Amino acid sequence: MRNTIRFTAASLFAGAMLATNAGAQTISIKGSDTLGAKLVPQLAESFKSKNGGVKFEIAAEGSSTAFPALANGTAQIGMSSRKAKPEEITAARAKGIKLNEVEACHDMIVVIVNKSNPLKKLTKDQVAKIFTGQVKDWSEVGGAPGPISVYTRNTSSGTYKDWQTLAMKGRNYASGSQKLAGNEQIVQETAKNKNGIGYVGLAYAKSNGIHDVTVDGVQPVAANAKKYAYSRACYFYVPENADATTKAFIDYATGAEGQKIAQRLGFVPN
Amino acid sequence: MPDSPTSSSVPADHPFRRKGRGTDGLFKAFFAGNAGLTIVILVLIIAFLIREGAGFFPDYRRELELYRRSGLEFVDLSRKDLTAHEQMSSLLNRAYYAQVNASCRNEFQRSQEAAAIVNYLGEVVAPAQSALQRVLDRAGEEGVPEELQASLSAKYQALLADALAGRAGKGLPPTPHLSSAERAGLLADLKSRDPLSTDDPALVLALQEQLSARQDAAAQPLEDFRAAIDAFADASVALDNLVAESGDTVKAIKEAATLHEIETTKRATLLEAAAKAKKPEDKLQFEAEARAAVTTEAVDFAPALKPVLDRIPEFREANAALSAALAGAGDKLPKRLEDAKAQRYLATFRKGMDAYAIELADTNAALVAWRNDLPIGLGSTILGFVTGREWITGGEWQDFYGIIPLFTGSLLIAVIALALAIPLGVGAAIYTNQLAGRREQNFIKPTIEFLQAIPSVVLGFLGIAVLGTLLQETSMKDSLSWIPGFPIQERLNMFTAGCLLGLMAIPTIFTLSEDALNNVPSSFAEASDALGASKLQTIFRVVCPAAISGILAAVLLGLGRVIGETMVVLLVAGNRIEIPDFTEGLGVFFQPAHTLTGIIAQELGEVPFGSVHYRALFVVGILLFAIVLGINWTAQRMLHKFRIGHD
Amino acid sequence: MENPEQLIRKGVHHDRLKEGTVKAVLGGLTWGVVLVALLIFGRICWDGAPAVLKSEFPFVDTDFLTAKTETLHVFDDAVGNRHSLPATEYHAWVEKEGSDAVFNEQTYSYSGGGIAGPIAGTALLTLLSIAMALFFGVAAAIYLSEYAKQGRFIGLVRLAILNLAGVPSIVFGLFGFAVFVLAAPVFTEAPSERSLLAIPLGFTWFSFQGWNSSLIAGAATLACMILPVIITASEESLKAVPQGFREASLAMGATRWQTIRKCVLPFALPGILTSSVLSLARAAGETAPIMFTVAVAAKDDLPWEGLSNPFGIFQTQVQALPYHIYTLAARIPSSEFTQRAQYGSVFVFLMMIFLFSALSIILRNRVRSKLKW
Repeated sequence: MRNTIRFTAASLFAGAMLATNAGAQTISIKGSDTLGAKLVPQLAESFKSKNGGVKFEIAAEGSSTAFPALANGTAQIGMSSRKAKPEEITAARAKGIKLNEVEACHDMIVVIVNKSNPLKKLTKDQVAKIFTGQVKDWSEVGGAPGPISVYTRNTSSGTYKDWQTLAMKGRNYASGSQKLAGNEQIVQETAKNKNGIGYVGLAYAKSNGIHDVTVDGVQPVAANAKKYAYSRACYFYVPENADATTKAFIDYATGAEGQKIAQRLGFVPN
Repeated sequence: MPDSPTSSSVPADHPFRRKGRGTDGLFKAFFAGNAGLTIVILVLIIAFLIREGAGFFPDYRRELELYRRSGLEFVDLSRKDLTAHEQMSSLLNRAYYAQVNASCRNEFQRSQEAAAIVNYLGEVVAPAQSALQRVLDRAGEEGVPEELQASLSAKYQALLADALAGRAGKGLPPTPHLSSAERAGLLADLKSRDPLSTDDPALVLALQEQLSARQDAAAQPLEDFRAAIDAFADASVALDNLVAESGDTVKAIKEAATLHEIETTKRATLLEAAAKAKKPEDKLQFEAEARAAVTTEAVDFAPALKPVLDRIPEFREANAALSAALAGAGDKLPKRLEDAKAQRYLATFRKGMDAYAIELADTNAALVAWRNDLPIGLGSTILGFVTGREWITGGEWQDFYGIIPLFTGSLLIAVIALALAIPLGVGAAIYTNQLAGRREQNFIKPTIEFLQAIPSVVLGFLGIAVLGTLLQETSMKDSLSWIPGFPIQERLNMFTAGCLLGLMAIPTIFTLSEDALNNVPSSFAEASDALGASKLQTIFRVVCPAAISGILAAVLLGLGRVIGETMVVLLVAGNRIEIPDFTEGLGVFFQPAHTLTGIIAQELGEVPFGSVHYRALFVVGILLFAIVLGINWTAQRMLHKFRIGHD
Repeated sequence: MENPEQLIRKGVHHDRLKEGTVKAVLGGLTWGVVLVALLIFGRICWDGAPAVLKSEFPFVDTDFLTAKTETLHVFDDAVGNRHSLPATEYHAWVEKEGSDAVFNEQTYSYSGGGIAGPIAGTALLTLLSIAMALFFGVAAAIYLSEYAKQGRFIGLVRLAILNLAGVPSIVFGLFGFAVFVLAAPVFTEAPSERSLLAIPLGFTWFSFQGWNSSLIAGAATLACMILPVIITASEESLKAVPQGFREASLAMGATRWQTIRKCVLPFALPGILTSSVLSLARAAGETAPIMFTVAVAAKDDLPWEGLSNPFGIFQTQVQALPYHIYTLAARIPSSEFTQRAQYGSVFVFLMMIFLFSALSIILRNRVRSKLKW
């Protein structure tokens, strides 16, 4: 019994210690799945192989998760596939954290369909109509007949909101759309459903079982980044008073080597 | 339970006794405190759910009020018509294309089969092909090293040979609609194709041409129909523009109002920070920032909205255009279409016409009657939540929180799960308890209990990795197409989730039903036997009825488990926030859905603390808590009330 | 087979055919369920065992259990050979061969390396939660079985236990998030602004601002979840100790506490521990309560690495096996390269759970045969 009491005391003490920060050389990165599922882990791994002793914690649950984490001090770097909203900046500022915005790379949102779908091109208008649910059958846009299944990201994703602005003129998604957790999941479901359509970051558009769609005659390849209708920038957000390691990582990510990794993964370098 | 200690002969003031009593009292209090902890936890659960959730309705009401005051609601009145119009045109379009494509089925299949072969080959040789491409791109002026070129080409040829022989992946796709000469020609074409070319082979192009020629031919007699559809669809242009323009205006109003609110809060937070700041220079800086924080003025809604409201006549005119188009369409459309599917779409259109016409007329009245300063009651906010048919979050326009789509999703999945688990669970319990031999029992019971031990996330994983694909592929078989909902379009759907949840509920139902059957006094069965009843009569007329309350309780507890389960539905149910389309009959079960538990798990991690969305999730949690508690409570009541033959 | 019930029934069989049919149908259903259970188990073993087992001595591939999770890189080299390497090996390879030698690269997050992090996290979480739950649960059970008399309080406690046992796990997740992550009390230099109540103590503040997402918050949530199970099971074990033991002890003049400590607890302990092993399995298997209270998808450190003080371990976020499986199922596609990580993790996880369950069954039988009165 005495031991259990000691143990409780220790636990309580531990609870009391919670407000102090643990772990010095761990960089915690939170936010966008577009950046956090592939690019940032590889940047981190490559950065680690050059600078021993640095540890990373990466959580990629969507851009909206980056800013509360930065404001609470639970993340040192935020990833976002959209620009921060003014209220998010203010919330952090009110806690004494001034956020700097760093452009990580550019990304193109690519419309993907199942490999067996004969449709190779769509117009911007058709894409909007498909995602808002005005067009429900592939035959209406010149494909083989079949009801369209729309796959989208979930609401925390920056891509979800970017897509609404870029492709749908701010209208709501079709109520029949399915909200999936990440780019990889959209690829997988589209690959399994011959009537599926979805959107993913360029880095994911070369997977098996799917093919991309030319929009308004522009092919979604890195060379067309300027012309392509659904291009956007992705950002890192870093507190102004970040420590040297964090800054070194950001410099690495936006420097030549980091951009090379980005390019290899299908992002468009700055 | 022991009685309180019998009085001993030790005198009351004896130090030993006093000491014992004193510490004993302490110990008792300590243990009682721990027992009370359960109450504390339950109270904490309820209190914190309510604390986080309670703010939802006032906050949501404020959001809805802003929605009304800034005029978004006004624009939505017309947008609703526009959406309905789009749905109607889509129906006509689908009817048209179904009719056109009906006669081109063969061409479609031929074209797709050829394309499938090209795709298959392309996929197999892709690694070598892209490596070659990359080497060439990088080569620059000095050219590709010959060795590398040779090795990559060899690899390409090897892959190609594999593919042509059907050794890679699932093998060459079958081409039942292509003649063997065509197939051979296509394969030869692909074999001799330049490794870097991605051009389609001649046959594919020819087949595409055939297809479009056929489509053109089929469209010829339907020209009138096409014109009627276009006329109908184009009627919405005026309203479309109006809605887009006024939509921009009201959105700007809402944004200005929101911005002002943000700035006011910002000033407040900064001032608060300034008051708390320890260093004077910090304080000064915060104060300076606070002064600069508010840059906009409060929005005066009525004048801002005036330009939109001034256009009411235009809205009505556009509305009238829609009505006219609708009335006109009725005559111009063909009476019947030959293709069954096309005819079904057309019939749905005709059926929907009246409701749409009434809706249009209603909108005309609603446009005039609409006011932006009517208050929104708390009651109607709650009603809107409980009966709301839309759950839209993170949108650009306006967020709505309506529970019905989530609730129907949970309910339908539970129906599927129970439809599976009741016969299997109860049947297995009856069999094991009454009919099986001792040795069978010793194998069956642990195995089913073993099912219970499988964590739900593992079942969810199996659902994604195995069951979903398996069901989908099975449903593709032509021999099964008579089953409603087959072939299954979505791999992740309610049925898959329901099957897995059924599997989870079986052990619960089995174990508790078995207990209930076990608890029936053996004298019941003996008496029945003595009266000359057969074994089946004894089981189904005597033992089962005696245990029915226990079995019902078992089913209810199984239901509680199914409704409260999270991981399986999150992974497998498909996450579509929409009320399922019941017009498909039993096929409704093969649609994806979202659930009460799934929405919490999916969205809680990503919402800002204290936002309306965050609070909405807690309200869903309260609802879930209440439902499951209600079910469990009923089950317990049932167990106690109808207990038979117990000492 | 010669039990009297069957002897009695032997005389009466009206309709053998009907009985046979019903028996066949019910038996078919039952064995169907059994078959499905075996199929599931077989499938997981078939695909998962290769990640952990190997054909030569010592038969266990410890790499998968002891390596950290990494990204898996799949690529061709210049001559067209396929490589699939976890990140550290990949970087070494690239360093050696140059990045121009990499073709057709595909990457799969979380699929390389092993699952040391999730295993360690789950172990810590479960141990910590079971320790808390045992402490409070056994104490509560002692009260219920040894001290309490029928009354209002006891009725309330039983009602609370019954209701707690039925609360869905996701609601426990919400509760843990709202209470332990956001509102539990800590000592802190500067109370955060989301603090519900901050009491100044002079040198420091006692502030109700939560433990953030951390090991202790997750363990506390899990402990609340398994508490009712532990209480019920412990109470049963305590009640199974014969009344005579207590009466004898009390008759010797021992106090109530002495009686409990010397004459009741030692005999009930094996039963209590047995049932707690079963709750261990439950605590280890739940995903929903830890999603928002402790779990992270990726973390380089094992929980105890890189801490500034030993108590820091309670404040770290950890990976956990069930959450890891969720990530593997939801976030990455299933392909030949991810199968090892996916089925391997599921296999290890399931084995862990079954080990606990089997252990509890074996213990139960041993305790029953040993302690007989």
